[in-house]
Amino acid sequence: MECCGPGYASPAEAIKAPREKLLYTIAIYTGTGIQKPDYLATVDVDPDSPTYSQVIHRLEMPGIGDELHHMGWNACSSCHDDHSMSRKYLILPGVRSNNLHIVDTATDPRAPRLHKVIEGVEIKAKTDLSGPHTVHCLGSEIIISFLGNAKGVAPGGYLHLNKDFEIVGRWENSMGEIKFGYDFWYQPRHNVMVSSEWAAPNTFMPGFDLEEVGHLKYGRELHFWDFEKREPIQTMYLGEDGLIPLEVKFHHDPDSTHGFCGAALSSNVIHWWKDGAGAWQWEKIIDVENEPHPEWPIPIPGVMSAILISMDDKYLYLNNWLHGDMRQYDISDPHNPVLTGQVWMGGLLGKAPEVNGVKIAGGPQMFQLSLDGRRLYVTTSLFSTWDNQFYPEIREKGGVMVMIDCDPENGGMQMNKDFIVDFGKEPGGPARCHEMRYPGGDCTSDIWL
Amino acid sequence: MTTYTVTIANRDNATYQVDARRPLLDALRDQGVDLPYGCKYGGCITCAAKLTDGQVDQRRQVALNNRQIAEGYVILCVARATSDITLEIGVESHDRLYRNPFLDPLKPHELKADVAAPKET
Ligand code: FES
Repeated sequence: MECCGPGYASPAEAIKAPREKLLYTIAIYTGTGIQKPDYLATVDVDPDSPTYSQVIHRLEMPGIGDELHHMGWNACSSCHDDHSMSRKYLILPGVRSNNLHIVDTATDPRAPRLHKVIEGVEIKAKTDLSGPHTVHCLGSEIIISFLGNAKGVAPGGYLHLNKDFEIVGRWENSMGEIKFGYDFWYQPRHNVMVSSEWAAPNTFMPGFDLEEVGHLKYGRELHFWDFEKREPIQTMYLGEDGLIPLEVKFHHDPDSTHGFCGAALSSNVIHWWKDGAGAWQWEKIIDVENEPHPEWPIPIPGVMSAILISMDDKYLYLNNWLHGDMRQYDISDPHNPVLTGQVWMGGLLGKAPEVNGVKIAGGPQMFQLSLDGRRLYVTTSLFSTWDNQFYPEIREKGGVMVMIDCDPENGGMQMNKDFIVDFGKEPGGPARCHEMRYPGGDCTSDIWL
Repeated sequence: MTTYTVTIANRDNATYQVDARRPLLDALRDQGVDLPYGCKYGGCITCAAKLTDGQVDQRRQVALNNRQIAEGYVILCVARATSDITLEIGVESHDRLYRNPFLDPLKPHELKADVAAPKET
């Protein structure tokens, strides 16, 4: 298909795209004690550039206290045959402030500029939503999961924006019996969306009280939606195997029904698929054991806060934020994953306190994979209040970004020795980096119709 | 208009007069005190400060658990002074605000108000 819309005709085409040269990550001061706005950092990832492995631009948000976290594009490969669309704007929600920042990354990709702010108060007034998280586009429309109502009470819902970033209203027709919101992903050829559960903003924003898991204030269910009808039709109760199910990803192959979820507190990977009779099934395919620690009364859970599927659907990557390891599994047979790589960086087990000369506060947290599957960029901060609980030294040390070399042919991963971005040395003081995206689309942004 | 005096202990005991009807965050920021905040409705803890003397009304806050309240934390974006008060502000006052939840569990009466059990005596 020859056309000039954004993205790629297929995942196979995306893999062949030119290598990424720039990468964007958010960096926060909210909750760190530094009274400055959060910002979008541009990192030079072109090894032939003199500023390789450095922050080359910082776009400050207009106010303080946003807590930038995840972000998403205005358009992706789902608009590939619409030449009137382009992947120009990155949407940066502030989890705490409720503001949505629309950033133009196309006019000058090295120095993104603020295009528009949709004020948090306007979103609350028009849609009764707060606590924005995941941004996806659907054709030329944009939907964003919000984890609470205007008062921070679960389950929240979905904000619908048009392509000019005007509020259309609530996207969903019903939240059904859903108790909590978090991440979502959809597979249009199967008319399905899957959503997961963190907790109410009022529960997770102040920090993590473990006891609240027992009081059912954190999620343990996955929800399957009729995507066209915009309503949930089936819930999978994961129980103890699926405590705090966070990131959900379908295979990139638009014909596949296989998908995966990382249950953060249980530190398990849940796999779902549609069986021959057309019913959705699920199973636990990876179980990261809790690890003993000399100073802890109970073994430490991994805390698997993110997962990622390589563009060829061959590898699943996951993190254990408290243990300190990144893992690569071959999921060619999605029922039987095989561990093919593991790298240590930071974490509470003390296996790799230092990487490339930088002492790591925190553990592997968010990651983004190059389209060709060879470079995995990893950051270390989870969320300001949770960082402050588990890794208080991150206040002085800030976050870091590293790069892991991955072998997509034979499996395996290795820390790259030439790349590290120390956000502890930022000019405004130690900052913390989280989600990353590249200008051309990445392994967690695009969906094919 | 009822006003109270706010003393900020970790800012050289600087004092400010505040309107009893206004949230402390707004009343102090308007007078140039640099304070952190996020949600501005009492749900996210970013604006927490430590009350070391006096009283506030912070019934609208939903961010603090009962242990944090017992340690003196107040949520400035919704708290109003009901007497002259002394505060410690900013992250320097957050020494007891954050704890590792696995190493230092909460007792049933120390949870947030909506799930806390009555304190056993
Ligand atoms: S600003 Fe969020 S609790 Fe006050």
